[in-house]
Amino acid sequence: MAKEQPCLCTEEVSEQECMERLESVLKEYKDKPDALIPVLQIAQTIFGYLPEHVLKKISRTLDKPYSEVAGVVSFYSFFSTVPRGKYVVRVCLGTACYVRGGNNVLGALKKELSIDVGETTEDRLFSLDVGRCFGACGLAPVIMINDDVHQRVKPAKIAEILKEYRTVEEKEAIANDK
Amino acid sequence: MTNKKKLDSKALTLLCEKSKKRVVQVGEDKVLICMGGGCIASGAQEVKDALQKALDGEKLSKKVSLIDAGCLGPCARGPVVVIGKDKTFYQKVTPEDAKTIVQSHIRDNKIVESLLWQDEGTEKPVPVQMDLEFFKRQTKVVLRNCGRIDPVSIEDYFGCDGYQALSKALTKMSPDGIIEEMKASGLRGRGGAGFPTWKKWSFTRASEGDTKYILCNADEGDPGAFMDRSVLEGDPHSLIEGMALGAFAIGASQGYVYVRAEYPLAVERLEIAIKQATEYGLLGDNILGTDFSFNLEIRMGSGAFVCGEETALIASIEGKRGEPRPRPPFPAQKGVWDKPTVLNNVETYANVAAIVLNGGKWFADFGTEKSKGTKVFALAGAIENAGLVEVPVGTVLGELIYDIGGGIPNGKEFKAAQIGGPSGGCIPKQHLNVPLDYESLDTLGAIMGSGGLIVMDDDTCMVDVARFFLDFVQEESCGKCVPCRVGTKRMFEILTRICKGEGREGDIEMLIKLGNEIKDTALCGLGQTAPNPVLSTIRYFRDEYEAHIKEKRCPAGVCADLVRAPCQNACPAGVDVPGFVSLVGEKRYSEALLLHRERNPLAAICASVCFHPCEGKCRRVDLDSPVSVRGIKRFMTDQEKEMLVPEVKDNPELAKRKIAVIGAGPSGLSCAYFLARMGYKPVIFEAEDKAGGMLVQTIPSYRLPRERLDKEIEMIKKMGVEIKTNTRLGKDITVEQLKQEGYEALYLAVGAPSGMNLSIKNSDAKGVVDGIKFLREFNVKGKTAVGKKVAIIGGGNVAIDVARTAVRLGAETVTVVYRRTKEEMPAYEEEIREAINEGVLFEFLAAPKEIEVKDGNAVGLRCSRMSLGAFDSSGRKKPVEEYGGEFVVAADQIVAAIGQVVEAKDYADTKELALTKKEYVQTDPTTQQSSVEWIFAGGDVVTGPSSVIDAIAAGEQAAMGIDTFLTKESHVFWREEKANDTDFDPDADPVEFKREELAQVAADKRKDSFCEVEQSWSESVAVKQAKRCLRCDYRETVECK
Repeated sequence: MAKEQPCLCTEEVSEQECMERLESVLKEYKDKPDALIPVLQIAQTIFGYLPEHVLKKISRTLDKPYSEVAGVVSFYSFFSTVPRGKYVVRVCLGTACYVRGGNNVLGALKKELSIDVGETTEDRLFSLDVGRCFGACGLAPVIMINDDVHQRVKPAKIAEILKEYRTVEEKEAIANDK
Repeated sequence: MTNKKKLDSKALTLLCEKSKKRVVQVGEDKVLICMGGGCIASGAQEVKDALQKALDGEKLSKKVSLIDAGCLGPCARGPVVVIGKDKTFYQKVTPEDAKTIVQSHIRDNKIVESLLWQDEGTEKPVPVQMDLEFFKRQTKVVLRNCGRIDPVSIEDYFGCDGYQALSKALTKMSPDGIIEEMKASGLRGRGGAGFPTWKKWSFTRASEGDTKYILCNADEGDPGAFMDRSVLEGDPHSLIEGMALGAFAIGASQGYVYVRAEYPLAVERLEIAIKQATEYGLLGDNILGTDFSFNLEIRMGSGAFVCGEETALIASIEGKRGEPRPRPPFPAQKGVWDKPTVLNNVETYANVAAIVLNGGKWFADFGTEKSKGTKVFALAGAIENAGLVEVPVGTVLGELIYDIGGGIPNGKEFKAAQIGGPSGGCIPKQHLNVPLDYESLDTLGAIMGSGGLIVMDDDTCMVDVARFFLDFVQEESCGKCVPCRVGTKRMFEILTRICKGEGREGDIEMLIKLGNEIKDTALCGLGQTAPNPVLSTIRYFRDEYEAHIKEKRCPAGVCADLVRAPCQNACPAGVDVPGFVSLVGEKRYSEALLLHRERNPLAAICASVCFHPCEGKCRRVDLDSPVSVRGIKRFMTDQEKEMLVPEVKDNPELAKRKIAVIGAGPSGLSCAYFLARMGYKPVIFEAEDKAGGMLVQTIPSYRLPRERLDKEIEMIKKMGVEIKTNTRLGKDITVEQLKQEGYEALYLAVGAPSGMNLSIKNSDAKGVVDGIKFLREFNVKGKTAVGKKVAIIGGGNVAIDVARTAVRLGAETVTVVYRRTKEEMPAYEEEIREAINEGVLFEFLAAPKEIEVKDGNAVGLRCSRMSLGAFDSSGRKKPVEEYGGEFVVAADQIVAAIGQVVEAKDYADTKELALTKKEYVQTDPTTQQSSVEWIFAGGDVVTGPSSVIDAIAAGEQAAMGIDTFLTKESHVFWREEKANDTDFDPDADPVEFKREELAQVAADKRKDSFCEVEQSWSESVAVKQAKRCLRCDYRETVECK
C-alpha cells in the first residue's frame, strides 16, 4: 500500500530532493509485480504531476516499456502530465449534483477562474476539473478543493469560497517574506 | 496502540465483554457526533470543537465525553449530534448551537427544541432518535454499527461483538460450513448484478490451486451511490471481518481492497482499521492462534469508472490499464495473476459477519421470497431527507421516498426515481408501488444496482438526464470494444441534438435500435448496460422526447437552447413573463399589457383565475419565494383605461374564408382572437345567452368580477369577431349545416359542461344536485335553491366554488367531503385556504356510501372513514376503507362535484370524429386538428376538465393550425420573441423585497357578498414586486458549456 507521503508539491523543494524521494520509493517497490500504479500515485504526490523524465525513470527502474507506463498514465483520469495548480477544484457532475445544478456551478467557476476544464490558472494556484460523484450526494451540488468538500454550492457563492484559499495564500506569502 | 497482545478466541470474548460498555447506552453521559463524510462537509468538526469548548467552559468535560461516530444516515440534516443519556437527536447543529446544547440540555436537562427534527407529517418536533420516522422504519444489518461507534476504535467494534463471527468460524466451523450458512442466508451480491454470494464462493473454493485471492470492490463509481463510502468510513472493521471470513471459506490468504481515490477519508480509516486488526492478531499469520493466515492490503483507484467491472478491477490491481476482458474464464477460475479470485463489494462483505454470527436463517427472514436480507439505499436528488437508509429488500419505493425520505421538497411533484446509476433505469410515478427487489425492478427496466436512488421532481428533463448518463458512459468507456466506444458516442450525439432543438424525425427509433445493439454486443457490463437510462426514459417519457423533437419544447424547462425563461416555458400560452413583469417594473403598463396579449388575450381574466404555473417554475424560489406574477398581472390589467387591442392585420383574402368557432369559452375566444389578428373574420356560436363559457357559467363572481370578463370579450368583438349566442350545436345548428353554409374550418371548443353522475344509493333523492348545474343556475339566472346544511362531494375547484357560493347564499353549515387528504386535493391551494377562512368545513379521508333519506328528501350523507394505503397509478396513495369507520354528515342538500364529462357525440358524427379512450376528441397536439380534416378541437373537450390557460393555449394553436390548413402557408406573426429593452444590471444583487400576496377582504365582511375577494396592490407595491424578477431571459455573452 502506498504509505502516507507528505505532500511536497506545495513547498519549495528542489528537483534533486524530489528525485531522491522517488529513488527511495522505487527501491521499496521495485520487486513487486503490481508496483506501477502505486509508484505513479506517489510520484504524482511528490512532483505535483508526472513529468516525462519521471515517467522514463519509473519505466527504466521497474523494467517496463515506456509505452506501458504512458498507457497506464493516460488511462486513469487522476494522473496528469501537465503541472497542476496548488488547489485542484473539482466540480461534481454526478447525477445528484447534476440534477441540483452542478453545471451552473461549473459555469460560474470557469468564469471566476477564467479557465476551462483541465486547465490551470496562470498563478498556478487553481486547476479546474470535473468529477463523477464524490459520494456526498445528500449535499448536492458539491465541489472538492483538494480534499475539502464544499456542500450545497451556489454559483453566487463561488467567489467567496475561492477567496478563502486566496487569503490563505496571501498570508503564507507575507509570512514567507518575513 | 503498539505491542498489543495477539488475541486468541477466549481473550477476544473477554475483551468483547469488557468493551460492551464502550458502546453508548441510554443514560450515559456521552455525546455522539456524526463524523461521516457528509457531516464533515457540513462543518461537524467545527461543531465538535465548539462542543468541547463549551463542555470545558462548564467544567463538564470530565463527566461527559464526545464520541466521533460514523455516518448516521440523514446527510441533509447534518451536522447531527445525539445526546447519549436520552438519545435526543439534534440536527443542523452549528458551532453557535453547541453552547446552547451543553448549557441547556447537558447542564440543565432542558431539551433544545429549536434544534430538533420536525416530523414531516405531524409537523411536531421529535426529540428521541428512534421515534423519528426516518430511523424507525429502517432495519440495519449492514449499517448495524454505523453511527453507534467510533470507526477508528477497534475496541468499540469489539463492544458490538466485533470479530466474534471470525472467532466462531475459525474455532467451530469449517469453510464449507460457512458457505452453507451463506447459502441459507440467500445473500446476493450488492454491487449490482445480484449473483448469489455463496455460489461465487463455492466456485472459487472448488477451483484448483494453492493460491487464491479475495478482493473487495470499493470503487463505488456509480454517481449517486455512497453506501460503501459510509461503511468504510463508519465501520471499517465489519468489512475486514467479512473479508477474513470469505478468505477462510475459499482458502485465500491474501486480500485486496480496491478503493477509489475520491474517498481519501475512507482510505485513511480503513488503513487505521487494518493496522489495529493486525496488532490484535486478527489479520496476519495464525489469526486467533489458529493456523489460518490472512493479509489485507489497500489498492487505490486512479479515477476510472470502468474499474468497477470485475475483470477491469483485477487488471488495475495488477498495475495495468483497467480494461475489461471477455469472460469466461471467470475470476473464480482465473482472477488476479490468473489465480482463483473472489470479488464482492463492500456492502456484501459487511453482511457476512452478521450472517455467520446470527445464522443464515436469521438473515433470510428479512426480504422477499427470492431476494433476502436488507439493502442500503443512497437517497439523493429532490428529496427532503437525502442520506443513507437501510431497509428490508422488497420495501415499496413510495414508502422509501415519502415515509422515510420525507417526500419532495419545495412543494414540487415527484416525477421519477433513477435507480442503479448509469446502468439502471428510471421508475415513474405510476410505479411508486413497486417493491424494491431484484425481480420487480427488472420487469420495469430498472435494476437494483448498488442502491443509488436519485429522486427527480418535475424540474428535471428526462431527455437531459438520459443525455447526462450517456455523456458519462461515453467518457468513461475504456475504448476497448467498438459498440461501447463508438455506439455510446453516437447515442450521445443524437441526444445532444435533441436537447438543442435539432432533433429529427426517427431519432427516437434510432436511439432504441442503437441501444439494443450495444446491449447485445458490448464486451463488459459497462457497455451492456450503458443504453439503459436512454431506453428506460424513452419507455416512460416518450412524450417528452417528442416535445423536444416535434415542438422544439422542453416541458421541464431545462434544456437551455429551448428555454428562454422557465416561467415563460411553463406558461401553456408562452406569455413573455419576464417581459411584461419588467415593463411593469418601469411603469410601462400599456406596453406590458400589449406584450401579454401577444400570446394571451385574456390578461385580466387570467389575473383573477389563472393557477399560475409560471410561479411554480420561478427560479427565485431558490433565493426566497417566487415572483408574484399573477399579482403583478392584476395590477397591470387594472391600469387599462382605454381598451388596448394589439396589432390586427388587415387581409381581405383571409377575411373571405368562413371559420366557425363553437363555444365562447376561453378556448373559443382565444382561437377567434388569434384568427382575427391574422385578418380572418370568424364567427363564434355560443349555446348560452352570454359569452364566456365556464368563466361566466361556473366561476363565481367573487373570484372573477363580470365586468373584467365583459371587457375582454368586448375587445375580441371589436377585432371583428362575431358572437352568436343562444345557438346550440346539435340543436340550433349542426356541423353538416355549417358545412353547407360554406364554413371551411370549424373549431370545436364546447368544453366539458356536464357534471358526472353520482352513483351511490339514493342518488335520486330530493336535495341531491349536480355541482356544475348548481353553479350554472346561480351564475346565469342569479338564484338557486340552497340547503341549510350543505354537503359537497369532491375535491376539485368546482367543489370549492360550490362551497363558497353556498356560504354566500346563507347555508348554515357547508361541508366538503373528500376521500383523500388535503395534500391530494386537485383544487387550487389558495381556494382551499380561503374556503377554510370562510368557515367551510372539510371531511378528509371520507368516501360517500349512501344518501340517507327521510320522506324522499336527503337528510344526510353516510360516509366511510378511509385511510391512505398503497400508491396508485397516479402516484398518490389510494384511500382504502377502514373497518367499522362509518359516519353520517347531516345534510339537506348534497352536491356532487366529482368530475365532468364531455359529450362529443352530441355535437358531431363520431363515426368519423375519432375519440380517445376517455371519450374526449382526439387531436394532433401541435395543430389541434381532429381526424376530420376541417374540424379542429381544443380545451376541455380534448383534455377533459383543465385550466383556463390550457384552453387559451389550445385556441392559439388551433388558430395556427386552421390558418395553415386553409392557406397552406402561415400568417402567424406573434410568436417571435420580442427584445426586452428594460434596464437590467446582471451584476447587481437581487432586490431584497419579500413576496407579497394580494390582500383579501376579511372573511366576515365577504361571506355574504359576491364582491371580489382579492384586492389589487398600490403602484409602489406592484413596482417593487416586479423588480423581484431575476430576469432569467437575460443572456450574457459568456462562454458557458
